[in-house]
Amino acid sequence: MSTEETANNRKGVLGWINPHNHNAERWAYAFQRITGVAVLLYVLGHLGDTSFFVGGPIGTGPSESSWAFISGLVENSFGHMILVLVVLVVTFHGVNGIRLILAEFGVMFRKPRAIEYPYKPKGLNPLQRYVFVAAVAMAAIAALLAWWILFEGPL
Amino acid sequence: MRESRLMLVQYVTAAAAVVLVAIHLLLQGVLVPYGTAISFGTVLSAYRSVISIVFLELLLVVVLVHGFNGVRIILHELRQTASWSRWVDAGTVIAIVASVGYGTRTILLAVLMGVSS
Repeated sequence: MSTEETANNRKGVLGWINPHNHNAERWAYAFQRITGVAVLLYVLGHLGDTSFFVGGPIGTGPSESSWAFISGLVENSFGHMILVLVVLVVTFHGVNGIRLILAEFGVMFRKPRAIEYPYKPKGLNPLQRYVFVAAVAMAAIAALLAWWILFEGPL
Repeated sequence: MRESRLMLVQYVTAAAAVVLVAIHLLLQGVLVPYGTAISFGTVLSAYRSVISIVFLELLLVVVLVHGFNGVRIILHELRQTASWSRWVDAGTVIAIVASVGYGTRTILLAVLMGVSS
């Protein structure tokens, strides 16, 4: 394959969300990357907002007024909605990540077999798909719990 | 560092992050009521406890190394030229050092300095 052909076949980031020919494992791959980038962006924002405990980027020590300022800015319905989404993606990323680590070390794989039409990968253990479904389910449960804590529970 | 070693770093930090982030989330609303957990007094007392400080610094390093190394892996997959790889690797190191430095600064100021109103 020439360099030009390789470049044309490269789907890039858009290939993650293109549903054409996506099976469960392919969706798991795409979601793992999308949630990973989302979590990193949140963590960077969280580094910024927690720094207001010491007065922000130019602060010099713990400041009650600075903390009250940032709390007033982020502790509202919109901010809590973001936190629910963060719990959703963090839980999915964590549980699906455990599946990937186990797969990397050969757990949850069957013996490789010759592929036959319609070319479904036979080495994959059905357990892999169950863990993927469990990751989605646990993320939904964790998000519901976060919703309850932030919107319904006793603050 | 060899790419295989960096992938091992990615998996070790992933396993550590699962445990540390789970504890962090449980302390923000499940084991401690959310309103109490984010109050100035509770956060300050967290910064006055050695165990809590070590925990927060570990969480900071583990999550940022895992996150930025993950982005590095994605960027290496998108394009494979020598100069791109060098820029991505250098950018990753700079991003990790800068963000860990900023987070550590917050922790150090909270630990060492007196409270102002």
